[in-house]
Amino acid sequence: MATLNIMVGQEQGNVPVTVLRVEGDIDAATHKDLQDKAAEVIEKGATHILLDLGGVDYMGSAGFRAIHAVSNMLSDEESSGLSKSPYLKLLNPTDAVARVIKTLGFDVYLDIYQDRSEAVNAF
Amino acid sequence: MSTGQVFDLSVTASLENLQKVRQYIDHVGSSLGVNDEAMGDLRLVVDEAVTNVIIHGYGDNDGVVEVHMEAEGDSVIIRIRDHAESFDPSHVNAPKLDTALKDRPFGGMGIFLIKKMTDEAEFLPLGGGGNEIRLVKHGVI
Repeated sequence: MATLNIMVGQEQGNVPVTVLRVEGDIDAATHKDLQDKAAEVIEKGATHILLDLGGVDYMGSAGFRAIHAVSNMLSDEESSGLSKSPYLKLLNPTDAVARVIKTLGFDVYLDIYQDRSEAVNAF
Repeated sequence: MSTGQVFDLSVTASLENLQKVRQYIDHVGSSLGVNDEAMGDLRLVVDEAVTNVIIHGYGDNDGVVEVHMEAEGDSVIIRIRDHAESFDPSHVNAPKLDTALKDRPFGGMGIFLIKKMTDEAEFLPLGGGGNEIRLVKHGVI
């Protein structure tokens, strides 16, 4: 059965940041793994999540549904409008994944970083 | 002029087989000499189309999805066939790209990507039941 490998890390920037490092293909068979893991860390108190996509070779629309759901889980009244989410950021997507992020307009909502410490300190 | 290169894949309609479908596109695409950027697009659109067939076409029913990929000149033509209920994507709303994410409805992204990343995308009901999705991308070989 197709599954995602998701490692949870903790970093301290201006705020505590939970890093989810995802490895595998995020498709309709696996996207719920990401959603469930994010729900689990949020339940345990995570308020700021950095999603490390460096190990994701493929992400289709199901992956974006998961990211959308995670963003909604973290959002509050302050995160309305078209401003970037203060609670969810993306790290190191491959070129192919970055292209889809742009095509679907998710770069309008989510900051994308190549450098982990820069990303952590951006929260 | 057709090169006559046709490849066939037949899988049961299970989301677990999506990876196998993407591997087939990679394998055939690379033997046809498709460029890297187009490979990413083709992998994506086929995954999205097959996902829709499995989820919206077959639903809880068992079935088979067939994928045919061939080159014609510098274009790639992909046909995806099923024996599921007809699925009319013209009823699917495109995602609202200018709306705040938390106000943006889920769904519609797969069809949007298919139309955006191909030069032609036709959804055809087959005479004896089932559907064929025909996807064409030019200038990729």
